[in-house]
Order: sequence, then structure tokens, then C-alpha cells
Amino acid sequence: MSKKAFRPDVDAPEYKGGYSPYDIIKEGTIAIVIIGLLTLLLAVFFGSPDEKAITVKAWSNAAPVDFAQTAVEELNGTSGTAGYGAPYNHNATGQQLGPLTLGKWVGVHIPINTVRDFIIAPLESQPSLPGLQSALAQWKGASTSVKNGWVANYTKASNNMSFSNGQLVVNATNSGPVPVLISDLTSMARSGALDQALITGSGYYTTDYTKPLLFLADSDYFPTLAAKQHLTGSQWGMMNETGQYPGQAWLWLYTFWYQVPPFNTSPNADVLIWGMMMLLTAGLLLVPFIPGIRAIPRKTKVYRLIWREHYATHE
Amino acid sequence: MNWLGSIINLDGYGHYLHWHFILVSVANLIVVGLMVITFVAALFLPFPGKGRRKENR
Repeated sequence: MSKKAFRPDVDAPEYKGGYSPYDIIKEGTIAIVIIGLLTLLLAVFFGSPDEKAITVKAWSNAAPVDFAQTAVEELNGTSGTAGYGAPYNHNATGQQLGPLTLGKWVGVHIPINTVRDFIIAPLESQPSLPGLQSALAQWKGASTSVKNGWVANYTKASNNMSFSNGQLVVNATNSGPVPVLISDLTSMARSGALDQALITGSGYYTTDYTKPLLFLADSDYFPTLAAKQHLTGSQWGMMNETGQYPGQAWLWLYTFWYQVPPFNTSPNADVLIWGMMMLLTAGLLLVPFIPGIRAIPRKTKVYRLIWREHYATHE
Repeated sequence: MNWLGSIINLDGYGHYLHWHFILVSVANLIVVGLMVITFVAALFLPFPGKGRRKENR
């Protein structure tokens, strides 16, 4: 019977050399102590990022017109959240991978109706304000086409909106109760009551900030703050941190794809890049089975550098 | 509670290097540089306890 040929990268020759004692517990302990001390020292010297949370109250006080115009977008259905699709609503196909409508498969499991959840329900939670109850009753009693007409008229007028002496100034006509709704929602937001109204409803103690975060994300104010800190998708934001702190440098490859064509202009970039990273990860896992790639360690000979003491006396 | 704060304050706006579509923070570059130095040092520095191991052979 002929002897089977030796295949480099697949077959391992039997080791017949000497052995050295090695205490992995000792090395592990030393590593933990050194890393622990380093962590403590870095914490003492540099601390950690300490950005104040951005609330709807902070936003509406810093940029009341932007808040009111975003509220109008929530009302007329042109905001990012209103047109997002799954998991919030059925208003878009969502992320697609070729013919696979993955976004739709996820389904609407966090249902959000921006008119009801961001505008009407929070206003209904307010104690009787002069004019608000009748404005809400007028809104609820109107047909969809009448509501659409009011909102369209107010949307047109809101392009020239301003804020003066604590009040919104909008020259709107034939807008029904919409001026009262938007004005009272802005006052509610500036008092901090809207933050509370948007996070309640999921139990007594809640950490569900989905609604205020989505509302904030629909604004111009929030993305502008993120851009100043280089945190947006087109700024490699995934690997950046607030302030002068280092960020998640290990996410460089994931965020790299968002900067280059065709991903940087694709509406399906999220799912395309996810698919690309899954492919690359599978490639990394399967390195031992890929001829050519698996030969790289043998051909680059870095292992001989690491074990140079051994190879100085053995071949 | 200021005495609890860090010795070096890094809360200001970060410094970034921009080259074509590449945008990288100086802080991230420093960390990547330190990782490369650690890797090269691990390759070239002799193993600790080298002498002891020889005696044991």
C-alpha cells in the first residue's frame, strides 16, 4: 500500500521534541492584575464620557420652532418615523435584500401611530387647559379628509413659523384645531410633561424610551448635535465616542462599508452591509478549510519569529 | 463632587483627521497605534522566564 502524501496546512507531523513546564494559572493571574491596575489608572486619569441625556424638554427649549415643525411632520405623516415601516408601521417596505423583504418579515411589533402616540394621546393626558379640550373634541369629531385639509393648510403656514415671547407665531388659516394642538404640545414639551407622557404606558417603572427617542430622531436638532460629535453614519459614527474619548475602533470594517458606494447611497445599506459582514465572518470561521488562505501562516512564517528560540536549534 | 472627577478632562470636542472618505478620531488612532506597538512587542520581546526554562530542559 502506497504511503499517503503529507498535505501541508491539513496534516500535522507527530511532535517528538522536548517539553517545557508552563503555568497558565500563574500567567492568567498576572494578566488580570496588570489589566486591573491599568483599568484603575485609566479611570482615575481619564474618567468616562459624561454627556447629559438629551430630553424633549431640552430640545423644545433650545429649538422650539424645530420642535413644532417636527410635530407638524408627525401630524401630516412625513416624519422619518411615520414613513419608516416595520417594526413601527406598514408605511414602507423597509430593508430589502434582493427580493427578500426582511423588514416586512420582522412585522409591526412596536406599533407607533405618530398622530395618536406623539400628539393626541399626550395632549389628552393633560389636565383641562383652556381651549385644548374643545380642540381635541373638534379633531376627534372630524372626518379624515377634513383633518387632512386642516393639516395641509397648517403645514404650508408652518414654513414661516417663529417663536416669540414664549409662544409660537404661525399665520395659519382654515387649520381647525391644529394651531391649538401644536401650540399646546410645544408648551407641554417645554415644561417637561411631554417626556413623561411619552415614556409612560409601559408600567409604573419603565425604561422604554422608544417614543421620545423616535420623536427626537425625527428633528433637525438631534442629528445636528450628533454630527457635531462625529456620530452619524456617514462620519464613521459607529466607531466614534463623544468628546475626546476613543470609541469602538474594532467596528472599523462594519462602518467602513457605509462610506463607500454602493452602500453609501443605498436605502438598503443596513441589510446589505449586515449580509456582507456575515459572509466575511463565515470566511474567517472557515479559514482552515479555504486552500490558499489557510496557507498564509505557513508562508508568512510569523510563527517562526514567535518560536525563534525553538527554530534556532530545530528545523 | 468635583473631587470625584477625572484628572484629565476629555469631555470637549474631539480632534479628527479627514482624508478623502476616511474620517478618524485622534483618540482612536492612538488606541490603534498602541495595539500595533503591543503586537510588535509581543513578537520581538523575549519570553519572560527564558533562562529558567532552559535550566529545566
